[in-house]
Amino acid sequence: MYEAPHSTYAVSFDENNQEFSLAGSMRPQHVEELGACLQVLRSSLNVVRGTFYLNVKRLVRLNNIAFHALSSLLLKACEERPELKVSVITSSVVGWSTRKFAVLEEASANIAVEEYDSAFYPGQAFLEGGGFIPILRTQTKMTWRHEKDILPRHGMREGLSIADICCGAGDFAVLLHKQFAPARLVALDHSKSSLDYARQVAADFGVSGIEYVFGDAAEMLLDDNQFDFVTCRHSLQIFNRPERILKELYRICKPGGRIYVTNEKISHCLGEPHKESISWTYEQLARLFDHFGMDLEFGPKSRRYLMDAGLDDIRTDHFMVSSDDGDPRDFADVVKSWKVLFAGDMASRRGDDAQFIERFARGFDDHVFAALHPKGYAGWPIWVASGRKPK
Amino acid sequence: MAAMQQGEASLSDFKSLVEIDLNSGVFGSNWAHCDQISTYVARMVSHNRSDSLLYANLLSSALNELLETVFRMHRRDGSFLCAVKRRGPVDRVEITVSCQAEHLAFYRGVMNVLEGPDVAKRYRETLVAAAAPGPQVGLLELAVDYAAKLSVDEIGDGFLRLTADLALEEQTI
Repeated sequence: MYEAPHSTYAVSFDENNQEFSLAGSMRPQHVEELGACLQVLRSSLNVVRGTFYLNVKRLVRLNNIAFHALSSLLLKACEERPELKVSVITSSVVGWSTRKFAVLEEASANIAVEEYDSAFYPGQAFLEGGGFIPILRTQTKMTWRHEKDILPRHGMREGLSIADICCGAGDFAVLLHKQFAPARLVALDHSKSSLDYARQVAADFGVSGIEYVFGDAAEMLLDDNQFDFVTCRHSLQIFNRPERILKELYRICKPGGRIYVTNEKISHCLGEPHKESISWTYEQLARLFDHFGMDLEFGPKSRRYLMDAGLDDIRTDHFMVSSDDGDPRDFADVVKSWKVLFAGDMASRRGDDAQFIERFARGFDDHVFAALHPKGYAGWPIWVASGRKPK
Repeated sequence: MAAMQQGEASLSDFKSLVEIDLNSGVFGSNWAHCDQISTYVARMVSHNRSDSLLYANLLSSALNELLETVFRMHRRDGSFLCAVKRRGPVDRVEITVSCQAEHLAFYRGVMNVLEGPDVAKRYRETLVAAAAPGPQVGLLELAVDYAAKLSVDEIGDGFLRLTADLALEEQTI
């Protein structure tokens, strides 16, 4: 792998994957300024067989001088070697790049342009359907009762520059905005439908000043070192490589700023009566998520992940969302939706048989019963952790 | 007549957001000023758009093309003013610079091309031609890829104003 750092852009070639990557800003005055980059591109094209991948997902700025220089080399290679295929990987997050590089598709049948984020995290489609959004909002309402008091212990205060990464339907950002009056609040998510919903919620409540941004939490285009407080709630647990997200959270956090995460240990959900049935179902739920590459047991692992990411001054908390908080029907509604989503759609997609699904669903029903029973109790534990980026 | 006056009034209600006022020689002393001004301005005016980061990327790219064109075509004396104004979803960029007759002729020539047929085809052919693209490519790109409404006006003696109306908000949704 070759990597040539530059003041405004980075060039790398991964020979194993035949992938040439450009990132940053390429706006030269003269083509000669790109000499080293073009040399790497030329030599990379020379060694590949089959398909050559040009990754411009993180190439944020490119002027016509640079575009012409790059395209000339690609077109020349395709002309000289008709068997060579070129796949240009763009990102819709950048805005201009897909249509710009589409010019190459018109110029050569050997070149194809693919927008990579059209298929962001397809495995999470379970959790992003429109029907689940109201439940996410109820969950946030229940967790906020606890978090509004916990957040100051983790460094939250008024006037901070905050990023809420994986903001989902945006309620947490609205609540933060109301409670802590941040100087700036950016809310990022990879689901356009969730962001549309979030913008509507903010508009309905007359909240302005939250910047809703579409993007991939594992490859954000936000600049380095710009936020005092970075939150990422209930999300590390549903990415198969949480360390990649943490690396990005660390990058955008200012030195001395803090990263705040919340996650579950779903097998510790509990209830009375019917505690055995409830425990069994939630242990199975953890296994079901594991099957789809998600770790709902992440909560107690948060400290280790934050330390491994390079953070210090780690602080942890945990709290129990319960049927005793506010209206127990809210808790019951959430569990009912879990039953539909997990004992219905997800278990079926794993191929579970009817007998398993019936027992699996019964545990959710028992949890609802416990929540609504006047002498009962139902709980859902959440782990909180934060760490400081060293100065 | 009344309709025309109403139209003129609506054109003038753009709200000023940012102005960069420089000596032309200072602007032209460093190519990086195009990148720096476009990046700074885009960030400053994009925070309240529906997707601030995406909007800033698009505006920075469009504005940089305008600035690079002016950089190549401008005089080294006189003044340079880059103003960004807003009316609803439209951002207007106005660049006012000292000019000579040949500069004005260049911009008017490009405007004629933009009013002619096959602008998109012409732009795309320029991008993949063997020869390096000339200074007009940025303006073609603005018209084709960013659906910018471009105009050029002679302002008093020895100045021109290049105007680009950009409705980028529509491209971020």
